Amino acid sequence: MNRLHPRSAAVRIARAALQGGFFGFFGGSLGTGMFDLPWFGVPALAALGAVIFSGYALARYLRFRYELDGDTLTVESGVFARQSRQIPLGRVQNLDVEQNILNRLLGLAIVRFETAGGSATEATLDAVDEAEVKRLRNYVRTHDRDEAADTEAATSKAVSETATSARSAHADLPGATGPSPTQAGDTQAGTDRGPSVSTSNTDSGGQPDESLLFAFDQRELLTYALVSVRPAAPVLTLATLPLGMDIVWAVLRFNATLVGASLSGPVIQWLLGSPETSRLAVFAALSIAQFLLLALVVSMALTVIEYYGFRLTQADDDLRYERGLLRRYSGNIPLEKVQSVTIRENVLMRRFGYATLAVETAGYSGGNQQSTQGVAVPLAPREEVYELARDIEPFGDLDFERSPKRARRRYLARFSLAAAGLTAVAYAVDSLVLETGYWWLAALLFLPVVPAAHLRWRHRGFDLDESVLATRSGFWRRTTRIVPYYRLQTVFVTRSPFQRRRDLATVGADTASSSSLLGGIARVYDIDEGTATELRDSLRERLTAHIASRRRGESAAGEAASRELASDEPADSDAAGGEAVSDERD
Amino acid sequence: MESLHPRVRLLWVLSTVIQASVLGVIAYLVDRFAVALPQWAIVGGWVVLVLLGIAHAVAAHRIWRFDLQDDALFLLRGVVTRTDTSVPYVRVQHVDTTRGPIERAVGLASVVVYTAGTRGADITIPGLRPERATELRERLRDLANESEATDAV
Repeated sequence: MNRLHPRSAAVRIARAALQGGFFGFFGGSLGTGMFDLPWFGVPALAALGAVIFSGYALARYLRFRYELDGDTLTVESGVFARQSRQIPLGRVQNLDVEQNILNRLLGLAIVRFETAGGSATEATLDAVDEAEVKRLRNYVRTHDRDEAADTEAATSKAVSETATSARSAHADLPGATGPSPTQAGDTQAGTDRGPSVSTSNTDSGGQPDESLLFAFDQRELLTYALVSVRPAAPVLTLATLPLGMDIVWAVLRFNATLVGASLSGPVIQWLLGSPETSRLAVFAALSIAQFLLLALVVSMALTVIEYYGFRLTQADDDLRYERGLLRRYSGNIPLEKVQSVTIRENVLMRRFGYATLAVETAGYSGGNQQSTQGVAVPLAPREEVYELARDIEPFGDLDFERSPKRARRRYLARFSLAAAGLTAVAYAVDSLVLETGYWWLAALLFLPVVPAAHLRWRHRGFDLDESVLATRSGFWRRTTRIVPYYRLQTVFVTRSPFQRRRDLATVGADTASSSSLLGGIARVYDIDEGTATELRDSLRERLTAHIASRRRGESAAGEAASRELASDEPADSDAAGGEAVSDERD
Repeated sequence: MESLHPRVRLLWVLSTVIQASVLGVIAYLVDRFAVALPQWAIVGGWVVLVLLGIAHAVAAHRIWRFDLQDDALFLLRGVVTRTDTSVPYVRVQHVDTTRGPIERAVGLASVVVYTAGTRGADITIPGLRPERATELRERLRDLANESEATDAV
């Protein structure tokens, strides 16, 4: 059994001592104040707190042990309530590595093992050194191959053989499910490279078996930061403004003088003293523009920090990413665990022919889900993105079928209702509170209704490709979702009363995914009722057919393999809690 | 297509009555300790909720259908937004039968089918006679197993 790195223990203990010390200090101060403790109560309690907390941290460190043996990761932890958990490596969906600044200085990293199911990360090693990270990563990636070669693990041999044949069977699959010379070639090459992978365990320098798929240079990173506007940035900016109130007032004052206001006191006085409308309008426009500019800068800074040094590489049938300026993130995504592929393009990106690629596995869970996790390529020319997407999940040229025209009328009606509602609210507010008489300005909202309805309709569609279902939706941020038939879970058709009036329906195709925010569901919006039922039936048929053909492909490699893979769909087992076996004792 | 046991309406109405009563108690407490609420509003609200519940239960029972088709469990439900759901047997993770306290009181049971998806990861078929629920659970289990076995060859 291995322990975490001693340096991480030192950090933890130091931090715990500090916390305990503070705790004791506050407790002591409170005690001397309220219960007349003698003066030395404060340092004594602080010291006691530090000792207790750091002792607990030390005990936790000593109790936390992990081991990679055969095809299982075993983690034992807990000081009072002891826990021992076993995770079959074949079930690991992703392996993520995080390094914050302190850890980077110390040469440490936090490793997280994600499996499907469960609401939290299944195993977190906080922290190990970089050599160990490399070892873990390579072990997980190659455990089946190494295992097969490993003769001494007699007990686990049967299991490992199953795993190996399953993996090699999978290498043929892309060919079976759809035509993709690149993919077949890549995986084939990956399998051939098998031996070199084992040697790279010891290689601490570059990793010869990795091929670079995508990397950012400085300029591309800045472009990406510029075009990927974060909706959260204005909120964040607004929230941090009070910290620099002096500067805000100075800027506002400058703006006021710029519009020609004669200031005798603070800006607020000028604002409250009912200034001329035209001056106020220019002042407001100027200030808002400055705020938006600031928000843009914040948004860009956040993106640069997050994506600095982004690299996506492929090693065997694993994708590997690396990113981050202050905190470094890196991780492995096994290609065979990919559930669906998503291509996103916002308006700006579409204009310049760029796109974002994201892959979803069943592993990313709510706990450490970040807005951008699972992003495989943050920004690349659209063709490259599609090429890579086809490498991951083979599909042909997508030819999207649009919803019937009456769907557009539905959007028109919906947007008109929204505009009418807002106008009514504006009228009510104006006639009751403001009394400016300008409430009719809200009626201008009716102007964008027609183009908005058209754009929404235009950007929605679906395509039944040979081996994937592709759906598309969204104007501001168009999302194209690609779901292989054999990954489908449930298929559902919904019809709201408004849809029933126009004989429309929405078809949803669910995949296994723990992210409820992005959702594993590919939706085909507002198609004809008849088309919807047809679509549902053909999705069901294709699911059955594709699973069958995958199984046939595998049965060539041995029946055991098919059984293994059958249960290998991350889907299976998770809900049943079979991903990680853990047992708890008191 | 099989519909639910008619007594499921009673089950639904009973649970609405309980929910409405809980709300009524809360309203009573608010009235007593915080803001004064008119008596008729509390009683009226309770009556309206229960009437809506009854209407919903009747409509829901009329619409609810399920069917064990060749490759998938098929359900049709929804009073306002009508949804049909297909759960392929291959995707069934496990199947439960459950009996809550109200269900036991009216002598019914439900079957819950679990998949690994995001939405509809657990699909409930309510309003079954207990024997039928057990039978359905076993049938679904067999179908889930079979769909794997036949495909694997």
